[in-house]
Amino acid sequence: MKRYVYINDDSLAQDLYCDNRISNRKYTIWNFLPKNLWEQFSRFMNQYFLLIACLQLWSLITPVNPASTWGPLIFIFAVSATKEAWDDYNRYLSDKKANEKEVWIVRQGIRKLIQAQDIHVGNIVWLRENDEVPCDLVLLGTADPQGICYVETAALDGETDLKTRLIPSACMGIDVELLHKIKGVIECPTPDKDIRRFDANMRLFPPFLDNDVCPLTIKNTLLQSCYLRNTEWACGVAVYTGNETKLGMSRGVPEPKLTAVDAMIDKLTGAIFVFQIVVVIVLGIAGNVWKDTEARKLWYVRYPTEGPWYELLIIPLRFELLCSIMIPISIKVSLDLVKGLYAKFIDWDDQMVDVETGTRSHAANTAISEDLGQVEYILTDKTGTLTENKMIFKRCCISGRFYGNENGDALTDAQLLNAVSSGSTDVIQFLKIMAICNTVIPVRSKSGDISYKAQSQDEEALVRAAARLHMAFVNKNGNVLDISFNASLVRYEVLDILEFTSDRKRMSVVVKDCQSGKIFLLSKGADEAILPHAYAGQQIRTFAEAVEQYAQLGLRTLCLAWRELDHDEYQEWASMFKEANSTLVDREWRVAEVCQRLEHDFEILGVAAIEDRLQDGVPETIETLRKAGINFWMLTGDKQNTAIQIALSCNFVSPEPKGQLLMINGKTEDEVCRSLERVLLTMRITNSEPKDVAFVVDGWALEIALKHYRKAFTELAVLSRTAICCRVTPSQKAQLVELLKSCEYRTLAIGDGGNDVRMIQQADIGVGISGREGLQAARAADYSIGKFRFLKRLILVHGRYSYNRTAFLSQYSFYKSLLICFIQIFFSFISGVSGTSLFNSVSLMAYNVFYTSVPVLVSVLDKDLSERTVMQHPQILFYCQAGRLLNPSTFAGWFGRSLFHAIVVFVISIHSYAFEKSEMEEVSMVALSGCIWLQAFVVALETNSFTILQHIAIWGNLVAFYVINWIVSALPSSGMYTIMFRLCKQPSYWITMILIVAAGMGPVLALKYFRYTYRSSKINILQQAERLGGPILSLGNIEPQSRSLEKDLSPLSISQPKGRNSVYEPLLSDSPNATRRSFGPGAPFDFFQPQSRLASSYTRNCKDN
Amino acid sequence: MNSSTPSSSAGGPGSAESTGPRRNSKRPKYSRFTQQELPACKPILTPKWVISTFLLVSVVFIPIGVVSLFASRDVVEIVDRYENECIPINSRNDKVGFIQSSQDKTCNRTLTVPKHMKQPIYVYYQLDNFYQNHRRYVKSRSDQQLRSPGSERDTDPCSPEDTTSDGRPIVPCGLIAWSLFNDTYDFTRNNQQLTVNKRGISWKSDRDRKFGKNVFPKNFQNGTLKGGASLDPSKPLSEQEDLIVWMRTAALPTFRKLYGKIEVDLQAGDVIDVTLQNRYNTYSFNGKKKLVLSTTSWLGGKNDFVGIAYLTVGGLCFFLAMVFMLIYLIKPRQLGDPTYLSWNRNPGGH
Repeated sequence: MKRYVYINDDSLAQDLYCDNRISNRKYTIWNFLPKNLWEQFSRFMNQYFLLIACLQLWSLITPVNPASTWGPLIFIFAVSATKEAWDDYNRYLSDKKANEKEVWIVRQGIRKLIQAQDIHVGNIVWLRENDEVPCDLVLLGTADPQGICYVETAALDGETDLKTRLIPSACMGIDVELLHKIKGVIECPTPDKDIRRFDANMRLFPPFLDNDVCPLTIKNTLLQSCYLRNTEWACGVAVYTGNETKLGMSRGVPEPKLTAVDAMIDKLTGAIFVFQIVVVIVLGIAGNVWKDTEARKLWYVRYPTEGPWYELLIIPLRFELLCSIMIPISIKVSLDLVKGLYAKFIDWDDQMVDVETGTRSHAANTAISEDLGQVEYILTDKTGTLTENKMIFKRCCISGRFYGNENGDALTDAQLLNAVSSGSTDVIQFLKIMAICNTVIPVRSKSGDISYKAQSQDEEALVRAAARLHMAFVNKNGNVLDISFNASLVRYEVLDILEFTSDRKRMSVVVKDCQSGKIFLLSKGADEAILPHAYAGQQIRTFAEAVEQYAQLGLRTLCLAWRELDHDEYQEWASMFKEANSTLVDREWRVAEVCQRLEHDFEILGVAAIEDRLQDGVPETIETLRKAGINFWMLTGDKQNTAIQIALSCNFVSPEPKGQLLMINGKTEDEVCRSLERVLLTMRITNSEPKDVAFVVDGWALEIALKHYRKAFTELAVLSRTAICCRVTPSQKAQLVELLKSCEYRTLAIGDGGNDVRMIQQADIGVGISGREGLQAARAADYSIGKFRFLKRLILVHGRYSYNRTAFLSQYSFYKSLLICFIQIFFSFISGVSGTSLFNSVSLMAYNVFYTSVPVLVSVLDKDLSERTVMQHPQILFYCQAGRLLNPSTFAGWFGRSLFHAIVVFVISIHSYAFEKSEMEEVSMVALSGCIWLQAFVVALETNSFTILQHIAIWGNLVAFYVINWIVSALPSSGMYTIMFRLCKQPSYWITMILIVAAGMGPVLALKYFRYTYRSSKINILQQAERLGGPILSLGNIEPQSRSLEKDLSPLSISQPKGRNSVYEPLLSDSPNATRRSFGPGAPFDFFQPQSRLASSYTRNCKDN
Repeated sequence: MNSSTPSSSAGGPGSAESTGPRRNSKRPKYSRFTQQELPACKPILTPKWVISTFLLVSVVFIPIGVVSLFASRDVVEIVDRYENECIPINSRNDKVGFIQSSQDKTCNRTLTVPKHMKQPIYVYYQLDNFYQNHRRYVKSRSDQQLRSPGSERDTDPCSPEDTTSDGRPIVPCGLIAWSLFNDTYDFTRNNQQLTVNKRGISWKSDRDRKFGKNVFPKNFQNGTLKGGASLDPSKPLSEQEDLIVWMRTAALPTFRKLYGKIEVDLQAGDVIDVTLQNRYNTYSFNGKKKLVLSTTSWLGGKNDFVGIAYLTVGGLCFFLAMVFMLIYLIKPRQLGDPTYLSWNRNPGGH
């Protein structure tokens, strides 16, 4: 399908394509209610509650007033709906603002001011400097005589540099006045979301006759939401409008992510549901049997002899309603609330603010904080993530001579300076390539300083370095570049740019020396993309060595090369190039092929080495997180050596002999297969040794491995704690994430650039570094942080606390619901299994909504261990990773506790309020107060750190319970009129309460104490150490100071082994995966067992326990 | 439970960063809440605290248990189960038939006072196996109707005892009122009538608020099927105290309801003759009927449960305290010992 856009033709295409109204709204006023309700009811839990609420309308079976379910249900729905409505209203407002913005367009040859939403495809839109582009346009004219304009694309891809946009060659030189009357047709593809591609053609109609079809690329477009900069005006024809623009198409609601904790809660909910059904069936049958055998004898009940047909169903349905509170209606709301708060804590955290730029961390996805605590694999990008992405030209090798080797900085190397001033040809040529062979735009500020706007940090570094070496790139005027060398101005005309692509790994420019008229091809690129193309006879050995040497130092290398072109050769090639550029199909491939024809027989000039410094705190962060049992994979587009060196310098892998790198390489299937098997074998053998084994794979081998040996590679992935994947493409990054996810690992992907977006979206948790490569990654991510080192805090502090808190909160919610439900069930045994509710409607409703939800909500402030302790003992994260705090066995504990407490409350209530005191309302209030007292003490016992807020919530809630009940008791119309006053006056009531608390909490406390002291988990030990000032804390220094010193001395030093405190050597063989895998359901308290550690089978059944 | 050292969690490393330049204007003001640094007390379960807690609980509970038990033992209670004996011997094969017949159901019982009983002495009737908490039963009442004469027709929940066969509302409606207990007791001591005060046996709040002063029984027990007692149609519901007591449904199938109060002391050895009208049918469901005379204590009637429970809990706590103490002494374990952290063990020999 193609789209034909007729320029400036009002009669056509009006109705064919949508107008420019942007709509991000999910709802309209009319469909809000049904659509929102429909969405909410598509969740199982909500359907369940609705069913229950509807059943309650049937007064024959309802044990309580239907309001006790409808109230909370409506409240919960109202809260969600209001939130949705508010979000949607804000979207509507911002849409409206964009839609009603006024823009100039041309109608019938006259410029008119209309609202942005009325733009149609084919309209010509005029923009002034600093205007926002209202829809996707194809440029027709600009104020610049060369037909260039500058745009800022930050809103689109997050890149802050200016980009040049060019008018199509066909429109070159058309007069401004004539632009109003221009007619033509643009053949363009159907709308898509690729903001890097636009393969179209344009043909103008007479009088602008130009029979040639003129190719259009993304360079000829102005995309929606970009800003026009440094250009007085520009005009273009609308090709995509409204929601069909590139931006509109790429907008999309990302798949909601479900955390492991949520999945577990859903699973437990399902289990409870099944349990409930069983209870209902059993009690239903018992009830019917009792009715037929006993109740018929009870003359005062007056059962009719012949009931309606549904008679058998009545009792089971009553029990269903009675037991419906087993699944707490408040849990979703509570969870949403606390999750929102976890996200806020991340936003607020002052320790995760990038001081340099003032960027705060941000949690864009508020729902997945718990997953942070359960991360098992971190897949990280290298450039810009581990490193600062601040490129600095450090060394170079020109014609076999090394510069900058002595002092580590070529710019201050006297030899190089001498060579420059003495005019050594090779050096001058080298600098020229550094200055010209790029797409940098020099911008002269008012004070006369030149700053460079570049898409690539490498290019900027080279141009800057060249300027420092007196080869300054001073001006760019269309295709003409001015270079100032030692105060003399040299002018070049750029004829063609052979752009950089990740496949070609090099870029070239064809320039014409304006004085001599000679044409040169200047190239720069990766060594393997340049060196093989040297002219026959050139010695490339020194360059290869230089590349090797620099890579050893962790520097990025670029080879610079050039060649003089014949005029004829160039002309012939240029027409091919033009043709290739105007193809619609496979353009990229065709262009690459044509470029290939020119880029050969290079004269290699030298190698430039650029340093990309490691970010602060990267090695410590990686070391800490690795100790926490998180496996690291580095996925980079960079070359193998550089990647390995960076990996060494940031603790990614240990140097020999402790560490061992296993290479997987090969160009053919066989080679890769053999290599893979060898590595796998070694991996299996060394798995039990305390060795740090990592595998290294490059993009090519990875492609083959993933395609043909997926199974073997998956096994390898599971066995290996560390991997370095270099030369990988964005889609391979995403594939690797997918691979690990398919093994049911929790993955976190962290990156900073556009090439990481796919991996970030694919991973369970995507973290974006709001760095220098723009905000694209940060936008797509669930969390954005300023620096890599904040990851440590994000995971160990926020992730861990979130997990712990949610684990407690969710299980507690079930506990309290089960508690009251069990009491109801027990009561049914003494009320003739007839489904009478012991508690009245008000109490039942308030129990879940008020009495028990507040204390537990403040558990979001609970900290089991201080942040400091966690940082010192990152291994403790294991508990979260393996899901030790929320799983069926911990849940069974809570289940048992609620059963025990229900028995205590029930037995004590009915015995101490027996005989003359056994009045229904009184017994019910005694039992209810018993539950409230117990739950206050349970929360208190499970709280690790009490802040003032917790005290207020727990004890205040207890007081509030009495206050609320006194108020209700004061209302003559309520069923429990005067009940609470009567009870509070009786000594026996208080004595009963104390008895319930002591009998309920005593065994719980004893058990907890016993475990805490004699079967302590690691968390308990650290708690004890932390609070008693035990010896652990004094041991555990991570010595950040000494390491940062070391780094300052030689930021990229690799070979020297780091001195580490032997006490803190992580047990590297002690792969938590192995341990986790062998951890069975039967051994909940003694993991880290030696024998289990030996097990290396990798059947993954562990996390589910 | 433990050492409350107030300490601010999360230490100083962050302070360096937080003093940095603050460019972001949206930055919230530093607060201990947002930084999760509220001062907190972090108790842990040390042996000292846990053992003392258990000891304390046992020290408090055992005396309370003893006191409660004494209170309960001080209560003098005479229980007389009569439902079997009050059926003439020749009718014992068909108790239900007897109770439903119109024969004379007077029955004489003799009670001996075992101990001095101080007034007031409460007279209860106790029913066993009577499910006042059955769902059909407990819901079968109309509070509106009981409260105000205007709501006479609010009989919806009362089915099947809501209206007479010709559609007139029954006041008070419902199964509870319909099945009102109707045995009566007369007490004589040494041939001298013992007056049983039947006023003030119901809750004052019920008389004042729940049962209307101008609501009179209508069409009550007029149906073919007679339940329990009839009511005097000239007395307002607020004065029908037996009804008010009965309408306070019991939560348990065994319950006592107040019949009246005897406001003279009874001496040990006194013989009391009870003349009772055994009218209420508990025979069809094998329910027991008991007549109870009881004094009261600060804890209420005779109920050993609380005392025994307190003694048990206190004893168990003492036992636990001792056990924990022994374990603590025999096998002391240093809290927070780093050697228990497996990652600190010898790295080689995992």
